Amino acid sequence: MISANKQIRAARYGMTIDVDRCNGCGACMVACSVENNVPPAHEGATDRKGLTWIRVYKVDNGEEYPNRRTAFVPVMCQHCGNETPCVHVCPQQAVDVDPSTGVVGEMPQRCLGCRYCMAACPYHARYFNWWDPAWPAGMEKTLNPGVTPRMRGVVEKCNLCHGRWHAAKEQAAAAGKPDTEPVSYVPACVEACPTGAIHFGDLNDASSATAKEAAEPDSFRLLEKLNTQPKIYYRSKKDWVRGIAAAPRPGGAGKENSRG
Amino acid sequence: MLPWIYGFHWNAGHIIFLGAFYSVLTVVVVTLVAAARRSRRALLEHRVEEIGWHADFHDLPAQDRVCRHVISGEFQSRECPHAFDCRECETHAKLIQRHPVAMPAETEEDLFGMAFPLDRFYHRGHTWAHPEPDGTVTVGLDELGQRLLGTPDALDLPQPGAHVEANGTAFRVHKRDADVRVLSPVDGEVVETGGADRGWYLRVRPTATGEPAFRHLLRGAEVRPWLMREMERLQLALMAPDDAPTLADGGVPVADIAASYPKADWDAVCGEMFLEP
Amino acid sequence: MASPPRPVRAAPERKTPVDNPLDNMDRHFIARGAVRCSTPKFLLWMAPWAALLVFGLYSAALCLIKGLNQTNMDNRFAFGLWIFLDLTVIALGAGAFFTGFLLYILKLDELRSVINSAVVIGLVCYSGAVCVLAVDVGQPLRAWFTFWYPNVHSMLTEVTFCISCYLTVLAIEYVPIVLRNRKLRQVPSFLVFEFELHKLIYVLAGVGTFLSFFHQGSLGGLYGVLRGRPFAFREGLAVWPSTFFLFIISAAAVGPSFILLTTWLVQKITRKRLVRPEVLQLLGRISGSLLAVYVLAKSIDTLIWINRTSPETGFQAWQYYSWKPFGTWILVAEIGVCGLLPALMLLAPKLRRRTGWLVSGAFLACAGVALNRFVLTVQTLALPTLSFDRFLSYTPSWQETGTFLAVVAYGVLVYSFSFRYFQLFPQERELKLEARQVEEERELVGRY
Repeated sequence: MISANKQIRAARYGMTIDVDRCNGCGACMVACSVENNVPPAHEGATDRKGLTWIRVYKVDNGEEYPNRRTAFVPVMCQHCGNETPCVHVCPQQAVDVDPSTGVVGEMPQRCLGCRYCMAACPYHARYFNWWDPAWPAGMEKTLNPGVTPRMRGVVEKCNLCHGRWHAAKEQAAAAGKPDTEPVSYVPACVEACPTGAIHFGDLNDASSATAKEAAEPDSFRLLEKLNTQPKIYYRSKKDWVRGIAAAPRPGGAGKENSRG
Repeated sequence: MLPWIYGFHWNAGHIIFLGAFYSVLTVVVVTLVAAARRSRRALLEHRVEEIGWHADFHDLPAQDRVCRHVISGEFQSRECPHAFDCRECETHAKLIQRHPVAMPAETEEDLFGMAFPLDRFYHRGHTWAHPEPDGTVTVGLDELGQRLLGTPDALDLPQPGAHVEANGTAFRVHKRDADVRVLSPVDGEVVETGGADRGWYLRVRPTATGEPAFRHLLRGAEVRPWLMREMERLQLALMAPDDAPTLADGGVPVADIAASYPKADWDAVCGEMFLEP
Repeated sequence: MASPPRPVRAAPERKTPVDNPLDNMDRHFIARGAVRCSTPKFLLWMAPWAALLVFGLYSAALCLIKGLNQTNMDNRFAFGLWIFLDLTVIALGAGAFFTGFLLYILKLDELRSVINSAVVIGLVCYSGAVCVLAVDVGQPLRAWFTFWYPNVHSMLTEVTFCISCYLTVLAIEYVPIVLRNRKLRQVPSFLVFEFELHKLIYVLAGVGTFLSFFHQGSLGGLYGVLRGRPFAFREGLAVWPSTFFLFIISAAAVGPSFILLTTWLVQKITRKRLVRPEVLQLLGRISGSLLAVYVLAKSIDTLIWINRTSPETGFQAWQYYSWKPFGTWILVAEIGVCGLLPALMLLAPKLRRRTGWLVSGAFLACAGVALNRFVLTVQTLALPTLSFDRFLSYTPSWQETGTFLAVVAYGVLVYSFSFRYFQLFPQERELKLEARQVEEERELVGRY
């Protein structure tokens, strides 16, 4: 994963998610699970113990009817670019930031399961395998051969469909393209979204649509003041939606959120 | 962890961190190895007796570790810094130079009905050493020791030719549930063994001759105050948890004290008096 | 010159049954003259703790075999009861290194009477914590990965290395205590090895202090570096957040208190005098002084956090305390009731001399440290970070509680075993003699 070749033109893969377009259908969640061999929920799993690399939250503006407004916000690993909290704290160096892609990658084979990274992540984007993964009989035919399933007791999270990146790299190599150029590919959630709310691209490439959108004034990132420099940008024309990106409101102020 | 593992980076953080870890590991291993090597050397140099006595001495209660010069009144309070080996003590050398020990007029002290002849030297572990005309030294139990043990159930005497050292084990005695070692007053080689019936237990050819060989032993006017203190200690030791104190002023120890105190923890009493904690 | 022994006066009536050493079937293993309860009574004491240990091991086995779904931890409460209790227990076990430091390096000789007990407590605390950690991680067999691929920037790596080394040091410090057992010291090689090892004990004490400084600190650093959790995040010195230093001071402060508490408890249970009251008061004074320093440091740190660190991340400090039940009372309890109050109690000489105040002060100090570790573990994770988060609660499952109770049972079993067969309190013998002397004088005075 760590490239020794200094001449690679580094990409910074990121996303822009248009909150105004997201209708909360959850197709991205399903596509992500299918693509990444996420096992179905075990009997007894609660919403706090499940594996959802991408998770759609329902948010509202805290007002009562008829001024109440709601929106849906999909949240996955934000691939923090600055002082990535999870990378710093992993005792085994099982997480690292790939300098050629900017993707924060997780090595399940090295993960001890100490869950320190989960405590460190402010976006709650990391999930633990509380159970052994098990697929009902017959469902193993749906497994994606390009993605390793994880074992019990390790942490996993969105890696911007690294399996698809690998496949794109192989295709580029087969087509004779130079190794030093970043590839373009489409993660599963981007592909599945019916409204096209999620856009994916190389933020370093100023000509890409994603990079242009990220630079727009109505783009914001979650918890910007923490200075983690996430690569997932959210967009909305509504002020109150931009407001949810900041710190939580105090308790008892009526700010609710519900199931993810 | 190690420089050739994939992913290792030589930077300040790594150097400091792993440097500290390996230093700590080295210090701990070196300490263990040093202790093991010194132990091996001590075993080969036959210093087990000396070390055993030092360990025992360290475990004695503070009251029992007082310097002999507290007993004879020269000091108010002082703990013996040499585990009763006054041969090494400069303070003792200076004191006996200035105030040599007086010999009382009688040839024998009669204390609490027990005879303590003054022609011999006494060890604080209740043995005596008597230099014989032929250069050997006889070693025996003083009368308090004899009355404590009465007729021993069993004796572990050393073989002739064995080596004993001052403050080391002379022999072991078994009586009732007591199994106690008796301290030797002198250094030397065992020439002959005796028994309770012969009045002495060992005849030893001492390694050192003359006054220095006996410097650490009590004699003359020191014996009476020491014995009075020992009687107090015996009385305290005999106080079983639910008995009232016995042997108050004037009581005389019988020939076999053990038989008179069936409820006492005889092992503890002997351990106390023979300085084996 | 035999005369019949004087008649023995009738013994005064005793209400409480007294232990008779002759009742011990295992008395050859018990130090000469030491009074310990009869063997059946000892086994009766050990039996319920052994049963609790078995239950706890069963709970732990469930977690190891079936997976961590047996606990009530989840993706939001990644750390739970075990981590909180591990940190508390390690802070309480700090008495081992600190007493060693005070005795062997600073030469405070009065503490010789409690050092053995402190080492046993430390060993029990650290080994128990390590065992719980082995159950807490998802893949315990991969524990060696931290040593093989260490991340030198991670506080948890530092914790792992230091605690492993320190546990080794504590185990080595326990060896002389074991080898001084009455039967074992008759073996010449054991006797000699113990003697030589004890001569080098100051080296181990120094290493132990160095290691403890770092692991107590890094345990604090675990929370202080969490930039994603502004409740826990602190500024500090170079790479070390202020919680690094606060944890060291609080551990050093509470170590002596815990030794005080356990010694008092053991004296109560065994009905023996084991240390002089001055020793307990000294422990109280040391604890009180350090606690006062800690309260000052913590107050300054809290003020900086409230006014600068937290607002800079966009989180106002007062909002942390708006989620029930973690109101501002918890801050007051931690720094005031369980911080300043015991510090004052332990520093006041008049109060220190009264056992009730001394022990209460020590207890409050220990409670304060437990509260601090709880707040940083549980409250940090309960508080929301994203604005559409909820405030969450968590109750440990019975398997988690059982596993932890196994550690408590293990501690009691090891300590009881050590107390019976090894010399944990060197002053016990002297104090017994003194008690007899006092009783004898009282008898004589009564007679005349």
